[in-house]
Parts: sequence; C-alpha cells; structure tokens
Amino acid sequence: MSDAGPFFPANSTDDHSAYTPTSPSVPKPSESLSVGTQGDQPVLSMNGITCRFKDVIANKDVHFDLFRGEIHGLLGENGAGKTTLMSVLYGLYKPEAGEIFVKGKRVDIKSPLDAIALGIAMVHQHFLLTPNHTVTENIIVGVKPRERTIFLRTADAEKRILELSKRYGLKIDPKAIVGNLSVGEQQRVEIIKALYRDIDILILDEPTSMLTPVEEKALFSTLSAMVKAGLSIIFITHKLQEVIEASTRVTVLRGGKVVGTVMTAQTTETELARLMIGRTLTGSTGHQQGEIHVGIEKSPNAKASAGHATVLEIKNVFALNNSAVQALKDLSLTVSKGEILGIAGVDGNGQSEMAEIVSGLRKVQSGQVVIDGRDITGMSPKQIREWGLAYIPEDRLNTGLILEYSIAENLILDRWYSRPYSGKIFLNKHEMKRFAEEIVTNFDVRTPSLDIQVRYLSGGNLQKIVLGRELSREHKLIIAHNPTRGLDVGAAEYVHKQLFKQRDSGVGVLLLSLDLDEILLVSDRIAVIYAGRIMGVFDRTTADVDKIGPLMGGYVAEATN
Amino acid sequence: MTTTLILGKRLSFKHIVPFLSGGLAFLVGGIILYAAGVDPLEAYAIIIKGSLGSTRAIADTLVKTISLLIAGLAVAVAFKCKLWNIGAEGQLYMGALGGLLVGIAVVGMIPVVSVILVLIAGIAFGAMFSLVPAVLKVKLGVSEIIVTVLLNFVALLFISYLLHGPIKAPGFLPYSPDIFPESELPILIERTRLHAGLIVAALAAIFVHFLWKSKIGFELKSVGMNISAARYAGMSITKSILITMAISGGLAGLTGAVLLAGVQHRLIEGISPGYGFIAVIIALLGRENALGVCLVAFFFAVLLAGSEAMYRTLGIPVAFAQTLQALVLVFVLIGEVFTRIHLPKRIKRSDEDKTENHGKQIGPPAERGKVE
Repeated sequence: MSDAGPFFPANSTDDHSAYTPTSPSVPKPSESLSVGTQGDQPVLSMNGITCRFKDVIANKDVHFDLFRGEIHGLLGENGAGKTTLMSVLYGLYKPEAGEIFVKGKRVDIKSPLDAIALGIAMVHQHFLLTPNHTVTENIIVGVKPRERTIFLRTADAEKRILELSKRYGLKIDPKAIVGNLSVGEQQRVEIIKALYRDIDILILDEPTSMLTPVEEKALFSTLSAMVKAGLSIIFITHKLQEVIEASTRVTVLRGGKVVGTVMTAQTTETELARLMIGRTLTGSTGHQQGEIHVGIEKSPNAKASAGHATVLEIKNVFALNNSAVQALKDLSLTVSKGEILGIAGVDGNGQSEMAEIVSGLRKVQSGQVVIDGRDITGMSPKQIREWGLAYIPEDRLNTGLILEYSIAENLILDRWYSRPYSGKIFLNKHEMKRFAEEIVTNFDVRTPSLDIQVRYLSGGNLQKIVLGRELSREHKLIIAHNPTRGLDVGAAEYVHKQLFKQRDSGVGVLLLSLDLDEILLVSDRIAVIYAGRIMGVFDRTTADVDKIGPLMGGYVAEATN
Repeated sequence: MTTTLILGKRLSFKHIVPFLSGGLAFLVGGIILYAAGVDPLEAYAIIIKGSLGSTRAIADTLVKTISLLIAGLAVAVAFKCKLWNIGAEGQLYMGALGGLLVGIAVVGMIPVVSVILVLIAGIAFGAMFSLVPAVLKVKLGVSEIIVTVLLNFVALLFISYLLHGPIKAPGFLPYSPDIFPESELPILIERTRLHAGLIVAALAAIFVHFLWKSKIGFELKSVGMNISAARYAGMSITKSILITMAISGGLAGLTGAVLLAGVQHRLIEGISPGYGFIAVIIALLGRENALGVCLVAFFFAVLLAGSEAMYRTLGIPVAFAQTLQALVLVFVLIGEVFTRIHLPKRIKRSDEDKTENHGKQIGPPAERGKVE
C-alpha cells in the first residue's frame, strides 16, 4: 500500500482546488469584496488556516472573510472541514498555521472565552444548556454581574432578555425551565445567550437540523433582523436550499479547502452542488427540489407493494419513555412488504420509542406488535431479530457499534452465537475475518485494515458497517432510524440506494427520519407522528410539506385526511 | 501505512508504560531508601537475591505468585467487563471457608478428587458471595463498587466470628481445625513450599485467556463495553453481569481455597495478607489480560518476597514493598494520562462533522484508494 494512498485523499485530489466556478462573480479569496452596504474592511478574516488532526488534514490553507451585516453560508459535505474551521475561530482547536484578524487586528484565540471577548459566539448543533435551570439562568451563566453581590439578581437580566427577544422576534419566556422547551425554543435560548454577550459575529452550526419547517422560517427572519442590526452571521450547513434561502454570500469547502466564494444572488443550487461535491450526483441527495438530482430510479412502488401482505402491524400501542412519561399513545401503523413507510416528525415525538417497541428494546404497556403474522410483543430483541428484523439504530456510535471493537467483531455483534461465526465454544476467527472481508468489499467500507478499532473510521464507513451487518441477515422488515444523519451526500445516497434495493426485493422498510426532505424523497407512504400518535398517513404522490408541516407541529384541524 | 504505524506506535507505547512506570517507581523508591540511610542499590540487590537467589527463594516467590495471579485474574475478568469488583478479598475469604468446610468433612477419597472438591467448593462460595453485589446491581441498579468494598468487611468479620466460635479448633488461637491431608495441595518440589497450586493458577490463566476468545466471553465483554449496543444486538445484560461477577468471584474464591489447601491447611484470620486488594492493582497494571496479569503478579511476588529478605538483612520494614507497589500504581496512572492525552480530540464528538474529519473521509469517495 502506498504511503499516501487511501489516507490522504485530500492531497491526492488537489485538482479540484483550482476549480473556478463558471460564474464570473466569484472573487479570489484574497481579493477584497464589497458586500452590499458595508465598508471594505472585513469584520473577520481568516488567512491560510491549516488544521490537522494527527494524520488527517481538516483544513488546508483556508481563507475566509466575513463582512459586517452579511449572512455568510459555509457550505460543504460532512467532513469538508466546516465545523473545524469554525472551531478554530471559536478557540476550540489550535490551527497549525494561519492567522485570524478581527476588525483588522490580528488576534490569537486560545479559548472560547477569548472568542467571546472578541465578540464571537457560536451556537452548536447540539445545544449546551442546563436542562433544569431557567432560561435566564442559562443565559447569564458565565457573565460577570456588574456589581458585586452574593445573590443572583435576575430581574435586570430578565428585562434585557425580553428586550432582545422582542427586538429580534425570538419569542421566549425567561422564567421557563429549559428542559421543558422544544428544540426550536432551546435554539432561541442559545441565540439570545449569544446576543446577551454583545457579540458582533454569530456562528450557527447546522441550525436547522432539528427544526420544523415553520420554526425554520422563523429562524431565518430572526437572522435577517440580526444582520440589519449590524451583526454578521456565519451559517454552517450542508443543505443547498437553506443557503440559497438565507445567505447573502456562500463559501464552499471541500476536502478541507475553499473551492469557491460566491454571491448567493449570482449562483444556483446546481452550481453550488457541483462545487460542494466536485462531481455531478447520480442519486438522491436528501433534497427534494433542484436539478442536481439526476434522479434515482424511484422504482414504482406499485410494483411490489400493491395491496400486498402486511409485514409490520402496530396495534394500539401505549408505551412510556425513559423518564416514565407517556411516549406512545394509542399508536397504530402498518407497513407492507415492498414499501418504504417514512415517519415524519420533530425529534422527541415518539420515534425512538416506536423503533424500540418494534425491536423489543422497550416494553409496551398495552397493544400489540405483529411482524409477518407473528405477535412479537414481549419477545426478546434476540428472538425478534431471529424472526426477521434488521435494525439500523438511531445512534450508530453508541448503539449500532462498539467503537473499541474491530470491524469483524462489530459485524458479528448480533450473531456471535451462531454458526458459522462460532463453534460450540469459541468464536471462529477465520470465518469472522472472511465475513468482514466480504462486507468490506460488498459495502465498500474504506478502512486501512480489518483489525483497526472502528472508532478511527468515518461516520459514513461506520454506517456502512452497520448496514452490512443488518442487511446481511435474514430479514423481512428493516427499521432505519435516521440512517443518513451526519453522513455526507455521497454516503447518504448509498444508504438510500440500499433501502431501495431492499424495498424492491420485497422487504418492508420503516424509515424514521428527522430530515423531512429525506422522508419525502425516499418513502412510498408517509406517516406523521406527533406526541406519540400518528397524525395522518399520506401517499407519496399526495404528500407535500404544506400538508405534513402543520401535522408535525400538531395542528390537526385542516389536514386530517 | 502511516496510520497503522501511528496506531501501532500508540499500542506499543501503551504496553511500555507499565515498565516505564515500574522504573520510575524504583527510582523514587530509591530516593526514599537513600533518605532512610540505606544504599538503594544494595537494597534492590537484596530484593532480587531474596526473591530469586536460590531454589527456595524462587519457590517462595512462586507461592506468592500463585495467589496474586489467581486473585489478579479474578479482578481482571470483572474489570474487562467494566464491573468494578473491589471485593476479591472478601470473596477470597469466603472461598477459603468453602474449601475448609469440604476439607474437614470429606474423608477417604482419592487425594486428587478430594483436592478438586475443595477447590470447587472455594469457587462456589466465592461465586455465590459475588452474586450479592451482582444481583443488587441488576435488580436495583446499586453500584457494585460500594457493595463489593463493604462486603469485604462483612466476609472478614464473619470469618473472624467463625474462628472465635463455631469452627474454632481446640486451643487458644482462633484457628480452624486442619483439613485432612488428602485435601492438601501436594508439594511440587521437595523441601520447598511450592505446591500444586501453581498448576491451578496456570490453568486459571489459560481459562481467562481463552474466555475472551469464546462465545460467552465475547458476550460478556460486549455487554461491559457498551450496554446499549449489546442490548440492541440481542445480548442479555442481566445474564452477562451475573456470569461475569460469578466468574470473578469464583476465581477469587479459588484463591482462598488454594491458600487453604496449599499453604495454611487451615483457616486463620490472616490467611490472605490483602491479596484481594493487591489484585486490583495487578489487574489494572496487567491491562486486564491474562498474560499481563501473569507478568505483574510475578513482579509483585518478587517485590513481596524480596522485601521480606530486605527486612531480615537491612531492617527495612516490609511495608516498603507496599510503598513500591503504590509508587508503581501512581506512575502507571500518570502514564495512563500520557497515553490518553492525545486522544481527547478524537473522542470528543460534540458533533458528527468532527468525527468525519478525524475519520479521513476527506475528498470525493470515488478517488479514494481502496484498501486490500
């Protein structure tokens, strides 16, 4: 094996860095660029940032400028180095080379504290809030009170929070307990927390990943109110639509390098997609619209499923969640052989519990789960798997895999006890290795060796291992829970293709995803879940965001079908 | 190959750490000896000579190795499955009690059978005693650390009560009656104390080594490493925890039975000078695998036997051996920090994007080379 070979893909594919988009408006990173109404001096400029993790280059010689009053989209696939770049800016990582200028002054950002002092704040993808404290307490934590007091005086803070909330349209109750808030509301708390610190630059990492379409709209209008007030916003995303909708300018990263910076108004989704991926897509991307989809063979669902046997039937199931709160309330649902049933819904509305009652990981209080004619209620996960369930779990890092294990060990996690993977007493190392080789080849897992702990593999490759294991067993039903979350477009496309293949071979697929675009793209039928209930079931042809959106938010009135 | 090389390096660094830590511990130990007015080199020479200098010395060292090894394996099995069994000492005493009950009751058997019965009784008692924390953990979610630690006192005081009353042999001292000679582990080399427990210990090490290559071992280990993944994959959590603790406690009980049948031939209050506690250190230093535990157990036996010699010749208290052990542990823990110090960034997974970066999936997939 060559030295660089598979490990330094970024180096071996340099040719793309020279790529210049067709649009004439694309500036070279070094050229100054005047944006809209603002002056020429960028509020922030990052020059030649190189950041490396051991042997992997995450950012290479990245130039990035941010002007006052712009929403700057930072676009790229997973692994393109977006978050790394912003983590460097926020003081979480120390770059190997490069310098950062804030308002023309060279700065050395060693920690988030330095960043905040410079007026930079970041809202992470996963919020960093204390659930059992109030909104106000969460916001003021870490901010020095003006006068010396022993007791917290929250009245002033509350007033200021309400003021900010009004000014930017961020509706929030300062006295509410954060743990009781929805994801959208928690995000507002995070944004107010940043604003409370008098910042100039706000970094948002994948801010829409957990929002409903309505909340998303609200967020975008807040953002535009903020830039009008003079803030600058960096918006990390891999969704083209959002960039087009929300940003004024876009910088596209690929393989750790900047491949282009363009004015949003002068570009198209197609062009951005090409920049981002470096090739034309041949399959699904998880985005419904846009010409970049050369179209997957959405093989007609009529073919296999038309009126065919039911493979999964959930009948009037009630179940509690981990905090003993009612999570599923009289939930009923059927999945037929040869169809993909997508479950649309906002996070935390019973999706996890639903997957768990079908797989036997959670007990039902009442109701029945039937897989292919057999009542599996109360059976153990092992028995249900043996009866024909393949399950791609929500959390591949903590549930789907044991990160300390090798690929081979992970692949036999569900069948360690059976032939040919083990004999009477011992595991069959030889067979394990052969099987690992087979899966690595068939599922195109990229790994430096079979013996490496899987923790060193990328998210896409980890998911391929899970897929390889689950799809290689005898199964009648697949539960796929957020199967493409955190994957780049190519890997997501691969996962979808596998699901289509399974569907076409007559397997029933229950797809639970927080990504509505994915649901709309992949499913044959779509069910909407809200507060542990199925709000409605649509055929793909009749489903659209306008119908599903309100149901996801629990608005029933107009949309019951 | 760079990646594998780097990984390889980290792996070997991990393996060197215990030795490096040992070296540093001796260095600091030497300073302490020097401060006490003793020539450290001379002291260390005596340790080596006293533990390995003659057939008898070696035999004595091996006798100590036997107990440390089996007890170390007991703790290592639990630790490997992330069950923090700190109760090996108590389980050891219960095992010795079990052995004693059989040893004073069974008469007229072929010696081999008799000995095996004693050992089995030791395993059974140790295992049953360790099931108390295991059941509490499984049923009520009680931390096994606290329960195992506290049960040590329960076991020791219970044995002490028995030795002062119900099973006390005639005489002044709190000793039990001797077991029958056919229940004793035979001496391997004449005119030494080296007994057949060495074979038992070797078998125990082989058992643990192959346990991790077996089906059941894979299940136990998987449950220990990641409960949620194991459950998802269809493994039984309750069963695994109970079995792991039973194996661990069984081995600890075996240690007690071997001490009884091989060394003391009767139950006394101090039948184990804290082997069950030293075992925790041995398991940690041995990195929870059988070979590692063998090496560390022998090393600690050398220290123990050598420091006795040092006491006889130089008057340095035997506690110095404990000081050295503690120093080794401290340095190993420090070494641990150093082996992990460049890991946090990889482990930190506050979001997927970072994971991806570390995972070398940079650049379009089509152009990445394929591996083997």
